[in-house]
Amino acid sequence: MIVAENITRLYGRFEAVSDVSFTAAAGEIVGLLGQNGAGKSTIMNMLAGSLTPTSGRVYINRKDAARHPLSVKHEVGFLPEVPPLYPELTVREYLRFCCRIKAVHPRDEQRHIDEIMELTGIQEVSRQVIASLSKGYRQRVGLAQALCGNPEILLLDEPTAGFDPKQAVDFRKLIRKLARNKTILFSSHLLSEVQEICDRVLIVHHGKLMLDHPMKQDSGCTSYRLAVAGAPGRVLPPLRQLASVQRVKQVGESSPGITRVTVQTVQDSAFTSQLFTLLSGLNTPILELTPMQDNLEALFLKVTAQSGAGIP
Amino acid sequence: MRAIYHKEIKSYFFTFTGWLFITVYLAIASLIFYLNNVVQRSGDFTAFLSMMGYVWMLLTPVLVMRLFAGEHRQHTEVLLRSAPLPVTAIVAGKYLAAVSVLLIAVFLSFVYPLLVAAYGRLYLPEVLTGYIGFFLQGCAFIALDVMVTSNLKSQVAAAALAFGVNLIVWLASLLSGSANVPALLSRPVAFFSLYDRFVPFLNAQFSPANALYYLLFVFSMLTLATFIITTARNRRT
Repeated sequence: MIVAENITRLYGRFEAVSDVSFTAAAGEIVGLLGQNGAGKSTIMNMLAGSLTPTSGRVYINRKDAARHPLSVKHEVGFLPEVPPLYPELTVREYLRFCCRIKAVHPRDEQRHIDEIMELTGIQEVSRQVIASLSKGYRQRVGLAQALCGNPEILLLDEPTAGFDPKQAVDFRKLIRKLARNKTILFSSHLLSEVQEICDRVLIVHHGKLMLDHPMKQDSGCTSYRLAVAGAPGRVLPPLRQLASVQRVKQVGESSPGITRVTVQTVQDSAFTSQLFTLLSGLNTPILELTPMQDNLEALFLKVTAQSGAGIP
Repeated sequence: MRAIYHKEIKSYFFTFTGWLFITVYLAIASLIFYLNNVVQRSGDFTAFLSMMGYVWMLLTPVLVMRLFAGEHRQHTEVLLRSAPLPVTAIVAGKYLAAVSVLLIAVFLSFVYPLLVAAYGRLYLPEVLTGYIGFFLQGCAFIALDVMVTSNLKSQVAAAALAFGVNLIVWLASLLSGSANVPALLSRPVAFFSLYDRFVPFLNAQFSPANALYYLLFVFSMLTLATFIITTARNRRT
């Protein structure tokens, strides 16, 4: 579990991160979105313990990072934006080094390294010197480094940078697999990636946390576009009465005898079955029923534009 | 600490710095040996070791320049900062790796006394005492350079600063021996001088006090380096 409490970081007079607070629960995948220079990496560095906040507190699994820095660092695996690799070492030597600085027991070291290499798909380059690896493989070795010591919390700063599309798909699978027993916070420029993997998204802009938004992947959609062959006066009142419906809004130009609306429903509700029962009772055929995905891109643009800066 | 030590040793010999240090050291040592011992047909190593003592001033910056600045250049600083590793372990591991390379160089330069022993008479206890002092002096210079470069981001700046500080140490020692410098100034400088402390070893006197001084100097410099790094890490702006 990660708790950031009013963390602020100044670089001289420049406020890189300003009064950011959020919580990431155990087993949750949280995406950190923001433009370049928004403060994502600074937040990651403060959570990883490699940068001290100017003010505010970070708690990792309920332990204050300022009071117990070494103990907290055992529980965090961090992949920075540029993977921290020693080009002169082979992949296996590098992971052995990482295991040792993270105090993995020497008895478990070999097995642990083998498991991590299998998980990240780098067995075939285990004897190669890191200097000779492609960017994609370097990124994977960086990820393997973050997994050394089996930390409960993973902080991944732009982890898919340098991946080809196949590697990105494999990475997303890996993240989902890891999230079964880890808390994962990762930053990305790819909105679709965040939307696909994350349980929640945090949007950061000019160092401020602008939005903490649930992604609602598992519970299904909560908004629908609906077109019904019936006059609004006949359809709308009973539709608004449905237990699962929160809000109904008429949209578009209504053709004679056709009602077009967007319906916002209660999460996890049996909206569709209630709707079919209602409309069959009214004898009004459904012309269209389209689930509306939360559009993260629109949300991101809206949130970042609100603070007076558009997307470059 | 062991992990850092092993990684640094590997890095020294993967990059050119370890080889450069040993090669230049042996080249200079060979020249001094030739001029002092071969040309003059002398088995006395006092002059050899005395001159070699000044070599540390030039060469320890080569060993030390990449220890901390190299981490910054390779973006691996963040790995050490976010690892559950005390700063003391990082400083000690890096320092011991540099000392190990220095020890290899000193060990290889033992070939010169062996050559003298093969063709003439060698005063082994005197030579050994001199070598011990010579090694301790080298350790002290590395510790000093580790301290001054511990928070630098550029390898060139690290090498330049380390060399500059070594030069000041040498000049201070030189001035402390001058009759024109008042005793009030020359005495404390001579007391702290890394060169003056070497003199008894050159004269074949194993001096526990001077050996202890070198060890305390090393400890103080490494403690200061740890303090500098910790302060930089905890900086809040």
